[in-house]
Amino acid sequence: MTNRVDVVVVGAGLAGLTAARTLIAAGRSVAVLEARDRVGGRTLNHDLGNGEVTEAGGQFAGPTQNHVLALADELGVKTFPAYNEGASVYVHRGTAKRFTGDIPPDPFALPDLGLAMRRIDQLARQVPLDAPWQAQHAQRWDALTFESWIRRINIGTGGLDLVNVLLGSAYGGTAAEASLLFSLHYIAGMGDEQNPGTIERGIGVAGGAQESRFVGGSQQLSIAMAEPLDVRLGTAVRAIEQDATSVMLRSDAGNWTARQAIVAVPPVLAARIAWTPALPPQQDALFQRMTFGTLMKCEAVYDEPFWRSDDLSGQGVFRSGSPICSMFDNTPPSGKPGVLMGFLGGRQWRAWAHRAPRERRAAVLRSFAQVAGRGALRPREYFEQDWTAEPWTRGGPTSVPGPGVLSELGEWRDRPFGRVHWAGAEHANYWNGYMDGAVRSGTDVARAVLEAS
Amino acid sequence: MTEVSETAVLAVPVERVWAVIARTDRYAEWVVGVLEVTDHHAEATVGRTYSERNQTVGALTTRSTWTVREIEPLRTRVDTGVGFEPMHDMTNVFTFRAMDDGHTEMTYAVRYRPGLGPIGKLIDKLQQPALRKKFQASMRNLEDLIVAEGVDQ
Repeated sequence: MTNRVDVVVVGAGLAGLTAARTLIAAGRSVAVLEARDRVGGRTLNHDLGNGEVTEAGGQFAGPTQNHVLALADELGVKTFPAYNEGASVYVHRGTAKRFTGDIPPDPFALPDLGLAMRRIDQLARQVPLDAPWQAQHAQRWDALTFESWIRRINIGTGGLDLVNVLLGSAYGGTAAEASLLFSLHYIAGMGDEQNPGTIERGIGVAGGAQESRFVGGSQQLSIAMAEPLDVRLGTAVRAIEQDATSVMLRSDAGNWTARQAIVAVPPVLAARIAWTPALPPQQDALFQRMTFGTLMKCEAVYDEPFWRSDDLSGQGVFRSGSPICSMFDNTPPSGKPGVLMGFLGGRQWRAWAHRAPRERRAAVLRSFAQVAGRGALRPREYFEQDWTAEPWTRGGPTSVPGPGVLSELGEWRDRPFGRVHWAGAEHANYWNGYMDGAVRSGTDVARAVLEAS
Repeated sequence: MTEVSETAVLAVPVERVWAVIARTDRYAEWVVGVLEVTDHHAEATVGRTYSERNQTVGALTTRSTWTVREIEPLRTRVDTGVGFEPMHDMTNVFTFRAMDDGHTEMTYAVRYRPGLGPIGKLIDKLQQPALRKKFQASMRNLEDLIVAEGVDQ
């Protein structure tokens, strides 16, 4: 049996659901097909018991992320400030040092880091957000990795190490894996139409991208959006066929015919769908090169956030060599139970993902103990969310193109393929790879579908 | 021959202690001064070797290779190492005793012959307190690691 609707959306993450509800509001009939048995994509709540949750996926929002914040407001999902009181801790070569603010106290690395950040912001302003391949130096910048450029402008490696702390969670990778042009575009998008993107906003807690969290967990946004929609879970789309009149989507749970389709899944997974006719080779090549980074979130649950009474924020920055790159207090807004969360991304993921779970747990908890004290060694619960093990995500948190991809193939990123449109956090110019980018992309693609029909 | 030895009680069972110290790939996780295990044979086997990059003084490092000489499960482990010049004939000895309360008494000892004549002996005497601190810190690290793994697991 074939189901018929105006638009089929593939993927019930923030982008797909935003697009679907926008189209429904415009009077279109829409079905959302989701391969998993849940909605939310890369947002995922973890149940802590007693009605409390913490986040195992995307979780933070901040200034200029107007789209996801407006969506939350519309859905009645409140925000609360990420815990940011007391000192943070910087760990380098086994030594832990308290500090305040977002910049760690490393006198040998700070001059390099300061120079790198200033130059990054300067160059990012030269990148056209809607067409980074048209930047004056696009070819040159896209021929370099982010790391090779940082090494050129820095004397030591401290600045690079600290940039990699950010990228461990933001890319699930290192500066060595990313194109300079992509990185500048990514940072240029850390703002909105009124406020140019800056790396400071990207790394910041107060006034930055880690400023707020969502009451009830970020997945609540998708759960609330999905409620009135026709969302089919466990419905993996295997093939998409289109002709001059319609598009047919073949799934594990039946077929759908529509006038248009929106594919809101990670680009590399979109490339694995059986396409008839075949995807344009440029788009296929681009999507296959938009693989995700490698990221695991490791979280420990305690009866209470004991570090707060020691005037600690629970935030930690770990320069190279530690099992995790950064950590945060992930306690729910009620204040109990206490939760610490660490990012095990990129190089650290490669070092630890294959290790026995209890060995990795020990490494992570000892890192937590360097920041929060030895009480962190004995959590009442410990859990991990390895996004590379999610078959319908295959990594995290976002796509990180290497050199030569954006300048040569970037213009194919959002180009509709006949009756098929693209959405997702990787299809956003502002806050690319973030929840806000996903919501923006969903809104934009719905508009494009309406204009095309 | 010089011997530097430190003893500590670890609040974890000897079986768990042995499971960690028997792994030649895990020394960088708990032995202070081991920056990296560069080559290993996983579970220690008599006659086989493993290699490390070690911190010596300040930012200076050395590369060492160890040979497993003696294993008495849950009780003794003896390895000999090269790469610590001017110290020679380096022998590392771990001994364990299971205590009635389920804890473990561990002794961490090294034996070596200082080189460079009288100057070497003087340097050795000066560095012994730091070495003792490293042994104690290593044993605390080992205890923390096992606690963090989950003692009951």
